[in-house]
Amino acid sequence: MENEMTLSFAAISENEALARMTLTFFVAALDPTLEEISEYKTVISEAVTNAIIHGYEEDRSGIVTVHAALDGREVTVTISDQGGGIENVEEAMQPMYTSKPERERSGMGFTIMESFTDSLSVDSGQEGGTTVTFKKKFSPVQETCSSVG
Amino acid sequence: MAENCRISTTFVEYKESGKRPLNYEPKGGIHMNQITLTSGGIVIVRPAGELDHHTADSIKREVSRLIFGGKASAVIWDLGSLQFMDSAGIGLILGRMRDLGAVEGGTVILNPSPTMKKMFELSGLGSHLLEGTQEDAIKRLGGILHGK
Repeated sequence: MENEMTLSFAAISENEALARMTLTFFVAALDPTLEEISEYKTVISEAVTNAIIHGYEEDRSGIVTVHAALDGREVTVTISDQGGGIENVEEAMQPMYTSKPERERSGMGFTIMESFTDSLSVDSGQEGGTTVTFKKKFSPVQETCSSVG
Repeated sequence: MAENCRISTTFVEYKESGKRPLNYEPKGGIHMNQITLTSGGIVIVRPAGELDHHTADSIKREVSRLIFGGKASAVIWDLGSLQFMDSAGIGLILGRMRDLGAVEGGTVILNPSPTMKKMFELSGLGSHLLEGTQEDAIKRLGGILHGK
């Protein structure tokens, strides 16, 4: 383990941007490509939004915790809440599935997260609390500047 | 607090005959979302900064109001200035497509980033994507709206 961090914050939608920004700074030294960082931010945003909207039903007293660890060029991120839990994880991960159609959720959150990560696991149950863990490996830095002449 | 939010929405409504916008007060600098209604009944939404669950609501309210008020029958989502979008953006666009369902309107998603493009394609919205100018998007909508 080369570096690690933990961030906890209230389940308020403003904090979605806080989580994205903090975790972007955490991997900045790896010099990821624009597309890699954009995908990574999207996955964090999806998981944190799920915790706020589904886990805590936007109860502002809930706490979302994000932990990240760097090992070489691979980051492992865990987003956890102590909220309502997902009754049927398999069903929730189906494309277009949403438990809140009235809230304009697209139902694409987990599909997008799976597509933008190297591995994704969701641990939840009726007893409450959800933990989403994902791994993403950033490509090696390309040498783009070569001396001329 | 909403009043301190850097991402603000300004509604720009063009006069039927002219090109000068009404109510145009740039307040939000580079992070301003812009919603424009053309005289042809097309809403052009140009979000800026970051579009997530927190910021999608104000755009939703304004665009739905124009559609249900009978002023708009098509939407162009010009994503060229958008730095980030998560699935809240997909929900926002799908929701307005549902609003438009009643008026048989069209939807064009203009100039998304490569990451956004992947998300739209995963969500089955690939056929609405277009690389080009707002004029190109208006031309395409002309074809859709007139059944060409």
